[in-house]
Amino acid sequence: MTTTVESARAELAGIVGESRVVSDQAACAALAVDGKAPQMVVYPTSPEQTAEALKCARAHQLAVIPCRNGTKLGLGNPPHRYDVALSLKEMNRVWHYEPADLTVSAEAGMKLGDFQHFLGRNGLWLPLDPSGGPWTSLGGILATNACGPLRLQYGAPRDMVLGMKVATTAGKVIKTGGRVVKNVAGYDLGKLLVGSYGTLGVIVEASFKLFPLPAKRATFVFPTGTLGIARDLRRRILNSPLQPARLVLLDGAAATLVRAGSALAAEIKEPELWVEAHGSGRVIERYARDLEALGRGPGAPVRQLDDESSELLWSRISDPGGCLSEANPHLVLLKGSLPLAASEEFLSRTRQEVDSSRVRLASFSQVGVGTVHLCLLDEMPLAELAGLVQRLRDAVEGLGGVLVIERCPSELKARIDVWGPAGEGFEVMRKLKAVWDPQGTLAPGRFVGGL
Amino acid sequence: MKPSPLARELSRIVGSDAVFWRPEDLMLYEYDGLASQKQPEAVVLPITTEQVVRIVKLAAREKTPVVARGAGTGLSGGSVVAEGGIVVGFARMKKILEIDLENQRARVQPGVVNLDLSLAVADQGYYYAPDPSSQKACTIGGNVAENAGGPHTLAYGVTTNHVLGLEAVLPDGSLMRAGGKFWDRPGYDLTGLIVGSEGTLGIVTEITVRLLRKQEAVKTLLAIYDQAVDATRTVAAITARGITPAALEMLDGFTLRAVEEATHAGYPMDCAAVLLIEVEGLQESAEEHADDIEVICRETHAREVRRAKTSEERELLWKGRKNAFGAIGRLSPNFYVQDGVIPRTRLPEMLEFIGEVGRRYALRIGNIFHAGDGNLHPLILFDARDRDQAQRVLKAATEIISKCVAMGGSITGEHGVGTEKTDLMPLLFSNDDLEMMREIKSVFNPQGSFNPGKLLPTGKMCGELRVQVSGESK
Repeated sequence: MTTTVESARAELAGIVGESRVVSDQAACAALAVDGKAPQMVVYPTSPEQTAEALKCARAHQLAVIPCRNGTKLGLGNPPHRYDVALSLKEMNRVWHYEPADLTVSAEAGMKLGDFQHFLGRNGLWLPLDPSGGPWTSLGGILATNACGPLRLQYGAPRDMVLGMKVATTAGKVIKTGGRVVKNVAGYDLGKLLVGSYGTLGVIVEASFKLFPLPAKRATFVFPTGTLGIARDLRRRILNSPLQPARLVLLDGAAATLVRAGSALAAEIKEPELWVEAHGSGRVIERYARDLEALGRGPGAPVRQLDDESSELLWSRISDPGGCLSEANPHLVLLKGSLPLAASEEFLSRTRQEVDSSRVRLASFSQVGVGTVHLCLLDEMPLAELAGLVQRLRDAVEGLGGVLVIERCPSELKARIDVWGPAGEGFEVMRKLKAVWDPQGTLAPGRFVGGL
Repeated sequence: MKPSPLARELSRIVGSDAVFWRPEDLMLYEYDGLASQKQPEAVVLPITTEQVVRIVKLAAREKTPVVARGAGTGLSGGSVVAEGGIVVGFARMKKILEIDLENQRARVQPGVVNLDLSLAVADQGYYYAPDPSSQKACTIGGNVAENAGGPHTLAYGVTTNHVLGLEAVLPDGSLMRAGGKFWDRPGYDLTGLIVGSEGTLGIVTEITVRLLRKQEAVKTLLAIYDQAVDATRTVAAITARGITPAALEMLDGFTLRAVEEATHAGYPMDCAAVLLIEVEGLQESAEEHADDIEVICRETHAREVRRAKTSEERELLWKGRKNAFGAIGRLSPNFYVQDGVIPRTRLPEMLEFIGEVGRRYALRIGNIFHAGDGNLHPLILFDARDRDQAQRVLKAATEIISKCVAMGGSITGEHGVGTEKTDLMPLLFSNDDLEMMREIKSVFNPQGSFNPGKLLPTGKMCGELRVQVSGESK
């Protein structure tokens, strides 16, 4: 440790307490980003401590990356510098809860799984199924606007958050929004924070609007044969009165992988369209009837899954990275975001590119939303991998979308920007970053265009 | 009378028929739905983004404020000049540029009237969800500026939840594009920041919105109460039962009698309050929810629950609600609409408080609430020629809004801050919060030339409404 870091460490210990500044190697290594470990992990216990710690880091020109369980630490370019991991692990309380108002406020370090468990006692939930699943924290969800397939029916964290408290590098705790479901007072600074990947401020508390848990859920699976059939079916469903909660197209490999080790384990050869419906018993019956009718024609008939296995399978479908990384250590995870009707066309172009690369692919596509996750399962020579990713990025951009690399070997990041080119509005973003974080204290270099 | 040099320069950009400078023409732009303000120096009606850019550059050179204006239906003074300058009216930029149903999107110019977009896609079974009461007149550009709501935002969210991208002219004349047709463009959410910024960060010249598929079934219920407080209890009971109606509106007896006399919607004349409740979805779910709600209403002492049997009956019920402000105008030379928000479980308490405030200041106050999301619109009746009464109106309104904040609510749910509530902002936000907003503003609008005097506190007063209630009667 250099003397600057030493004196900063002492100051941080004064803010959060000696026991909450941890420098042991294991703790630091666990929160490494792209091979770079921090020199210490700091665990504040309040919004004010978080702000003070940020101010201290800024004064000592230390670089800070906020985190909780690290489920999202791999997102982003390699940090230019990384001295302090700011863990919100100790900030995990619910502090305001009005079940009858369907509103709740909680600290950002609370894990989604604990949160859902807490809300479930009143028959409520936050309808999100982000990557990282139950281990991801509320702060991490907001900082990355993380959402899975449930977005189709319920929207994104951006739409569910009512207000936040944010610790800034100036040492202040700023409030955005409020606790009520409708509020247009002042600039909506919350929108800037959601999806800012911890580069503006540290979200320390958040208020959400809640939803009643659905009475029943049911999962239907269509074997689709070809992408063309899958597209027609997707169109028919989206143009019907049905409003599925989730609608995901899995290619054969993905369908096989999510089934692995479950009661439904099977080798699947062709794409499958998975549909989940939420509602009363009568509503579910209606889905069964209508989907059966919509699926008539080419391809095998629709099949309804039993609840127990479908719950496990949906948790895997919602989190391709988490589901596949253990068995596939070289997993590269790409996220294409595009106009929803272009999803199948992108998948078909992907197929062509990937086939010529002899790498195994599994794809998970939220075809009602326009989010396509591509998993490259095998290790590839770096130059080849970079070339493939670039061609896939070109393909998405040609269809009017963008491609983000969500998981890859750190070495790839030296060759290709995980976010793609900084687009329009970048000059304004740069100035906004300078307002919140003038010294580049927060996650320097990790976000779009090096923000 | 000759046009000013500024008006002549503007004519060179848009043509002389699209610039107003005579006092009698400018008078029409002195007010919005709130109150009258100052006269602009000129009004200009561009027809292209490029013209907007040239107007903004001219204004920058002349150091003249610029205020964007849609249809002028706003209720917080957002589109009227506070400190003189040029009004840029979007009446001629009203093209729907693209309808892309396969992607469930539309791209529009800011002057497109809200309802016109829904009508344009209605045949294909789609609509644009935010539905302010003024939707027949108000523009999508104005909705974006104020982050407008409406009755059906209870289930579907306000404007910001439906805007994916936009193009805006910044005060230096540069063009900024944000977002687009798809979700999740990496980078800060500039679209989300611009929506609701009341024309103080940029002037929006193009908007990409989400279109929703129309629901298969709609059930509209009218629950009638002899005690207004029972109606407010029903609201919390419906929410607690896990039902989110598409809309859940409350009108008190005073308001609905005025509405009934004006629109003959079939509201009962002798009750204390009604709830107008709408549920949507698949036939099965709409029916079940309507049945459940009927039971809840009876449990909470509704005297009667009616269901609209035809779409004509439904439209009539909604016509009553959407024309309520106009109907109140028949009763009183002036009225002042408030826009506060509280947690919905506090509605019974709030209703009582508003009644007490009315008695204390000797004012008639009608209540019309987007009850489902706790958004209150008390209507305070007065005669602006009576100075003392006008002052009492402001005091009463300030008390009601302060109570909203004390209950954990907000000073505005959908009308915006405008000029009206700038000095109430400190009730909700600390100096640090407001300082951050000022810094954000200075990134876009460092000279303060776009819509000056709006949204942020002026520092002249604290905790008071800033409305001119002594103007002409409407």
